[in-house]
Amino acid sequence: MTLFRVGVVSVAALLLCLAAAPAVAQSNDERIRQLEREVAALKEAIAALKSGEGQVEDGGRIAELERKLEVLAGEIEKMRIGEAAVEADEGQHGLGPAASKIYRTERGLSIGGYGELLYQNFDGERDNGTASGRVDTFDLLRGVLYFGYKFNDRWLLNTEIEYEHAGSEVSVEFAYLDYLWRPEASFRAGLLLVPMGFINELHEPTVFLGANRPDIERLIIPTTWRENGFGLFGEAGPVSYRAYVVNGFRGAGFTAAGLRGGRQKGNQAQAEDLAWVGRLDFTGVPGLTVGGSAYVGDSGQSLDASVGTTLIEGHLEWRWRGLELRALGVQADLDDVRELNAALGFTGNQSVGEKLQGWYVQLGYDVLAGRGETALIPYARWENYNTQDEVPAGFRANPANDVEVLTLGVAFKPIEQIILKVDHQNYDNAAGTGVDQFNALLGYVF
Amino acid sequence: MPCWVTSSRRAALLALVLGLAAAVPSAAKVFLSVDEALKLAFPGCQVERRTAYLTAEQVKRARALSGVEVPSALVTYHVARRNGQPAGVAHFDTHRVRTLPETLMIVVDPQGKVSRIEVISFREPEEYMPRGAWYQQFLGKRLDRDLQLKRGVRPVTGATLTARATTEAVRRVLALHQVIAGAGAR
Repeated sequence: MTLFRVGVVSVAALLLCLAAAPAVAQSNDERIRQLEREVAALKEAIAALKSGEGQVEDGGRIAELERKLEVLAGEIEKMRIGEAAVEADEGQHGLGPAASKIYRTERGLSIGGYGELLYQNFDGERDNGTASGRVDTFDLLRGVLYFGYKFNDRWLLNTEIEYEHAGSEVSVEFAYLDYLWRPEASFRAGLLLVPMGFINELHEPTVFLGANRPDIERLIIPTTWRENGFGLFGEAGPVSYRAYVVNGFRGAGFTAAGLRGGRQKGNQAQAEDLAWVGRLDFTGVPGLTVGGSAYVGDSGQSLDASVGTTLIEGHLEWRWRGLELRALGVQADLDDVRELNAALGFTGNQSVGEKLQGWYVQLGYDVLAGRGETALIPYARWENYNTQDEVPAGFRANPANDVEVLTLGVAFKPIEQIILKVDHQNYDNAAGTGVDQFNALLGYVF
Repeated sequence: MPCWVTSSRRAALLALVLGLAAAVPSAAKVFLSVDEALKLAFPGCQVERRTAYLTAEQVKRARALSGVEVPSALVTYHVARRNGQPAGVAHFDTHRVRTLPETLMIVVDPQGKVSRIEVISFREPEEYMPRGAWYQQFLGKRLDRDLQLKRGVRPVTGATLTARATTEAVRRVLALHQVIAGAGAR
């Protein structure tokens, strides 16, 4: 009967353990492992008892022990799965019962981040043989910390704090509150990432190929483009969408090289002019994303000119086995550019583009696909863009802004969250002043 | 003075974007309790909850079959029968995605193929959660060499860690299913 007593004492100890669990400073995983060890010991004790069943006075006690064992196994399962293991009750706020249950207790802080260390080696000569004057650089380009907090069932906070160039620049990349109403429609307000293109919303270094982001998604879609605003987001079936109202560009920051200087980044943003931006994506076929986005608004802000600004963008991504194919095209149209140039003192080929356009195609193939987490991805990207595709009468375009870039490189991911990208970029422009460069980037995400 | 619309062309464009968003059919992304998930997977069935206590050898075999970590020797699963005939087995697999866990229900049919997969809970930011259609590609899959990310399973940009964790969970469940079935526990 010694074994039987051991079993009873073990069960009692286990029940005490469970009752005391919340007060003990142990992680959930540690508690589960401890319970599993106890259950295993109990199981062995019962097996030993069964083997000597003839000597047992009360077989009912064994059955009772087995019942308790099953109860404890169930408790362990509940701890693993979490709140989903409990039964659903009445729904709240229009959510299904289970949805309200799962949202009720899953709250708290979430921390993440990413970083990029970039080496750039520039050709000493331009394409036309003159000295480039470019200086090679080695830069801790970005160190980003992500903090998210779930206040309760409905309210979420998402923030990203970015340190650029080893901390010489600090900025908030986004900081917004979400109200989760239903999957088809939830609300968002704060400093938002403008939902255009591939890179602006998904710019962690492991997510895209190329040591540098595509020029088109820096100069025409000015990644990382964030503005203060509010709007709706959601998904229905294979379609997801986002539609925001944000403060418009500050047109006084536009240049012949693109729209990048027009970002207000949430910093005391001028809001005389607001803008609408909307995006749709279809993801009904695994591996395929097809979508588009549009931005419409004025960028004059404090200027007399309205500087109406429209961006239309389309994108496609296809991932199949080791293959990664991306294509994107974008066109921006600006009104009142003559007045804008006059206000900014731009003459000749300094004009802001009345029409900016660009597209790129990128292809990569993971030669280690399907062999685990490690990836080795040779890639190629072809970009064609012009930030002065059209300029107002009386101005002329600078042929140096009519650019083609061929990027050839390879990315290596020892694990999913670390990447080394090495590539060569061949820059050609209509002025013959392109400067080729070699890049190496080490990136991480956690 | 705010100026939201500068031309009818832009207004029409925005209306088109919003109109398309409003016109798509409704299909909610659903988080489920265990009970609800089982009722969804096995309507009209008798469902029995069972626990398997794997030996060290069985754990080792499950690891070898799946090629992924098998964190526990204690496996709880749910066996469904319809009119006395096997209808499938549901496993609930909880695993870490980035820093926070996801729980999936993976249903294995009597032929040993995945017949259903449901997200029970997802505690990472929902931006890291693939769309519903992505999970459907696991249906009909067996435990074989093709059941790998970037092989028979297509990845998804922006949710790579979730895609990998999900693929590993399916491999783990199918391996445990084989090991438990091999032990005559079904």
